[in-house]
Amino acid sequence: MSSTHPLFSFLSTALVLLGLSAPAAPGAPGTEVKGLLRINTTIQNYSVSQPWELNRPQRRRGLGAVLEDGNILTTGEMAADSSYLEFESADGTHTVPAEVIAIDYEANLALLQPEKGANAEWIGKLGTLGLDGPAKIDDKVAIWQLEDNGDAIRTEGSIRSVDLLSTFASGHYFLSYEVKASMQSASSSYTLPVTRNGKLLGILTSYNSKDQISDVVAPDIVKLFLEDVRDGKHEGFPSLGVATVLTEDPQFRKWLGLTDDQGGLYVSRVLPGSGADESGLKKDDVILSVDGKSIDRRGYYEDSTYGRLFWSHLVRGSRRVGERLPLVIMRDGKETRLEAVLRRPPEPLIPSHMYDTAPPYLIKGGFVFQELSRPYLEAFGKEWQSRGPLDLLDALNNPEDYEEEGRKRLVFLSRVIRTPATIGYDQVSNLIVTEANGRKITDMKSLASALAEPKDGLHSIRIDDIPYVLYLDPEASDKVDKLLLQRGLPTLSRLP
Amino acid sequence: MNRFLLLASSFACLSPVALAQEAKTEKTTPAASTADTYRSVVRIEVATQVADYRTPWNTGRFGGGTGSGFMIGPNRFLTNAHVVSNARRILITRRGSAKKHPARVLHIAHDCDLALLEVEDESSFEGLTYLEFGGVPALESQVRAIGYPVGGDRISVTRGVVSRIDFRPYSHSRVDSHLVVQIDAAINPGNSGGPVLQDGKVVGVAFQGLRQADNTGYMIPTPVIKRFLKDIGDGNYDKYVDLGISEFPLFNPAMRKALDVPENGLGVMVASVLPTGPCDGVMEPGDVLLSIDGNPIDNAGNIEVEGEKVVLHEVVERKFAGDEVDLEFLRKGEKKEVTITLKAFPHSRIYAVRYGERPRFVFFAGLVFQPLDFNLYSAYGFDSPRVRKIFQNYVRDALFKNREDVVVLTRVESDRLTSFITGFNGTVVDEINGIKVKNLRHAHELLYAGDQPEFITIKCNGVARPIVIPSAEVESANKRMMQKNGIFRSHYLGSTQPSS
Repeated sequence: MSSTHPLFSFLSTALVLLGLSAPAAPGAPGTEVKGLLRINTTIQNYSVSQPWELNRPQRRRGLGAVLEDGNILTTGEMAADSSYLEFESADGTHTVPAEVIAIDYEANLALLQPEKGANAEWIGKLGTLGLDGPAKIDDKVAIWQLEDNGDAIRTEGSIRSVDLLSTFASGHYFLSYEVKASMQSASSSYTLPVTRNGKLLGILTSYNSKDQISDVVAPDIVKLFLEDVRDGKHEGFPSLGVATVLTEDPQFRKWLGLTDDQGGLYVSRVLPGSGADESGLKKDDVILSVDGKSIDRRGYYEDSTYGRLFWSHLVRGSRRVGERLPLVIMRDGKETRLEAVLRRPPEPLIPSHMYDTAPPYLIKGGFVFQELSRPYLEAFGKEWQSRGPLDLLDALNNPEDYEEEGRKRLVFLSRVIRTPATIGYDQVSNLIVTEANGRKITDMKSLASALAEPKDGLHSIRIDDIPYVLYLDPEASDKVDKLLLQRGLPTLSRLP
Repeated sequence: MNRFLLLASSFACLSPVALAQEAKTEKTTPAASTADTYRSVVRIEVATQVADYRTPWNTGRFGGGTGSGFMIGPNRFLTNAHVVSNARRILITRRGSAKKHPARVLHIAHDCDLALLEVEDESSFEGLTYLEFGGVPALESQVRAIGYPVGGDRISVTRGVVSRIDFRPYSHSRVDSHLVVQIDAAINPGNSGGPVLQDGKVVGVAFQGLRQADNTGYMIPTPVIKRFLKDIGDGNYDKYVDLGISEFPLFNPAMRKALDVPENGLGVMVASVLPTGPCDGVMEPGDVLLSIDGNPIDNAGNIEVEGEKVVLHEVVERKFAGDEVDLEFLRKGEKKEVTITLKAFPHSRIYAVRYGERPRFVFFAGLVFQPLDFNLYSAYGFDSPRVRKIFQNYVRDALFKNREDVVVLTRVESDRLTSFITGFNGTVVDEINGIKVKNLRHAHELLYAGDQPEFITIKCNGVARPIVIPSAEVESANKRMMQKNGIFRSHYLGSTQPSS
C-alpha cells in the first residue's frame, strides 16, 4: 500500500501566504465548467482530555460535485465532525446551508444536500455531472479547482496505478486511482472532483506535491456508496471479518501443505459474529479463492478491469451488505467450499474512529471515566504508539485479550481532577476499570448504574493496576460533582 | 539524571602519557597525617570489555577509564563498583609512584556501587595507613573529597559542605535507592571511588554527580559502606534484601474508611505483594501496614528515625538475608503481628543494569533468541507495547513463575531461509513446537532436540502466524549463516553458577 498524505490543508494555508500569485488559468478551450460548487465546513471535535467540551473550530474549504439527482458528492473528510456546512457558488455570490444525507468515513465519501426549505435555486443552474464508469491505467482525467474569482482551473493528469488505500478512517482500504498531475495552490482545494470526458470519475482525497500524485476514490466505490444510500438508509460497506496473513514464506507454505501453484491467505483470526464466523471459516484455514477468483500468495487476484488487485476489493468494493460470497478454503489438506453472507463488521471493543460521535464520559467526584477509542490514544501526539499509556496501547493492539464476557467497551479512568474527594489519587491515570461497587463494568452505562449504588457507604472502583481498588466517599463526591457543575461543567456524564 | 564520575569517554580526557610520569618531589609537605591519608588514596586504571547485546556472540567493546580508591585494611582497597565493572585488567598506582600494580576484585556490589579490591603483590603497599570510617556528617559541616579526577595527573582535593542527606537512586544499577549524602564540592569524573573525609575519617565514597547542576556531588555514606563490609564478612556478598511489597499512601479518607484505618495518621496500604517474596502468603493487597520493627508508619509510608522522616524500607536497608523484621498490620480492621525472614528478591534484577556478564543467546537457523533484561531492553529499545508490557509486569504479575526468562526473538539474519520471516523481530517467544518456553536453556533444548518433527514451529506473542523451520534445513542453514555472519558459536546459555 502506498502512503498518502492529506496535503490540501497545506495547500490552502500556502495560499494565504502567497496570495494568488499564480495567474488564473482559464479553462482549457472546449471544456465547460459544470456541476462544481464550493463547500465550506466548520469542523469541531471533542477534547480528548476533557470530553465534555469541544475543541476550537477549524474551517475547511473544498469542492463538491453536483450529481444528476441534485445531491452533492464530496469526501467524508469534508463533512465529518462538521458543526456547520454550506454550499457556495464558484464566484461567491450565493451561499446556502447544507446538510448531510449520508457519510461513509471508511470509504471517505459524503452525500450532501441544501438544507430543507433553504433557497438553493442557484445550484440547479450549475448543471450536473453524470457518473463515469471505471477507468484504466493511463487514461487521461481532469482535476478541477476553483480560483477565488470563480474561474475553474482544470489540470490534466493520467492514472498511474490502481490500489487499495486508506484515505480517511484508519485501517479501511478502498479502491483508489493514483493520478499523476501537477497541480497548483488554489483556494477551496481540500477535496476535488475528478472527471473524464465531462463525467464524474471520482473525488480526489489527497495530493502529494513532491511526487505530484493524487489519490482519487474510484468510481466503483462511488457507485456502491450511491446505491447504498439511494433508499435513504446508509448501511455502509460490508466486511468478511477475518484477519489474514500472506503465504509468501516457502517454509510456512510447506507447513500449511500448499503446493507451488496454489496461492492462499492464512486465516489468523475470525471475528466473532462476522460473516466469516457464520460461514464456518476458522483460524488456520487457508483461503484459496474468493468469489471464484483465485488469490495468490501475496493476496492479489486478477481483476477483469484493473488487473492485479488486493483481494479485499472483492468484499469491500464489489459487494453490498447481505450479499453472498463464495469461498474456497483449504483445511486439513482438503479443499472445502464455504459461503459467507457479508455483514457490517461487528462492533469493536475499541472503536477505530469517533467521527460525529460525542465520546461517552462520566465524572464522579473528580474521577473522569471514558470509553477507550483509537482517537484517544492518537491524541498523545505523533509518536502516540510509543508515548501512549502502555496498558491502553496493548488493548488497542490486542483487543481479543480484553474481550471478557459481556464487555462491550473498555472503560478506563482517564484522569483524576484534584478535588477534596480525590485526595491521594493525584498520580492515577489511564487505568482500565473492571468493576465498580461489586459489579462488572462492560461499558459506560454499566458504570453509571453501578455508581448509582454505593456499597457499605463507599464507592469502590476496581482497576487493573496498582493500587487495584480506589475508594470514593459518596457524600463527598456528590458534593464535588455539584461544585463541578457550578463551575461550568455542562453535565456529569454523557452516556451513549 | 545522575552520571557516573567514571565515564568511558572521560578516559580520553586524561593524557595517557601522563600516567607514566612520576612526581618525584613535592615542594610543600602537608601535615604528616594528611600526607599519610593522601598516600592511602590510590589511582585505579581499568581496562574494560563491555558486551554488545545486539551481537551477543561478539567480544563487545574494549575500553577503559580511571577512578580512585583507598586502602581500608591490609591489601584491601575500597572503590566504586562502577569503577571496576566489566574490568578485564585492573592496575592500582600509588601516589608518587609510576609502578602499576595488577589488582583483582574481591567483592563487587552493583546494588550499592561498592567494590573491594586487592593487589597481587602487596609488598609495595605495606606500611600505608588504613583509613578509618566515621559517621554520617552533619548538614552544613565541611568535608574533603580526595581522588584522581580529570584535569591533571596528581592527587586532587576539593572541599565542600554537606548540603543534603537523602534516600536517592544509585545510578549504577538504575534500580536501587539507598542513603546518599550530597555535597557541594566539585566532584569530577575520576573522583569515583575516592574517599570523602571529615576530621581525618572517611565519611563517604564519592560516586556520582548531577548532569544538570554544577558543584553537586554525591557520596555513599558510611552506613551503606559498613553494611557492604559486614555483608562480605562471610566471604560472600548476599546483596540487599527486600520486603517484597509496594505501598499506596493512605491520604484519601474514603480509602481509610474502606480499610478500617483509624484517623490517627498512621498506616499505609499494601498495594501489591511480590509473589515468592518474603511477604508472600503473609500479607495481601489491601492490608494496612502499621509498624515495622516497632516504628510507627504514617499514611505516606514513612517512619521517623533520629528525628528524620524516612521511608519504611530504610529499616530493611540495614538488614541482611536471614534477618527478621517485625510487622504490624491491619486486615479488615483486625490487627495482626508477624515476623518475617528477609531474603533477596532476584527476579527484580531484570530491571537492573547488568555488569560483567556475557550475554546469553541462542542462534537457530538465522534466528537469534535472547532473554529479556534491562541490558537487552536498552540495546534494542523495543517499541512493541506487548514486549514493554511483559517487561513492566514481569515482577508485578509474577510472570517469572512460568517464564524464568522472557525469551525474545531479537534478530532474524538475512538468508534464503529467512527472507520471508518479517515482523517477528522484537517479539516474545511463547511456544516452540507447541511447548511453552520457560527459559533460554529450555528454548535451546526445544530447538536443538534430537528428534525433531518435520517442521519446527515457533509461536511469538502477538504475531498472527507461527515461524516454520523445516528441521532438515537447520544444520546447513546454521553452518551457512554462522560462517557468513561471523557467528562462531551457536549459543551461550550462561555459566552454571547463577551470577549476580
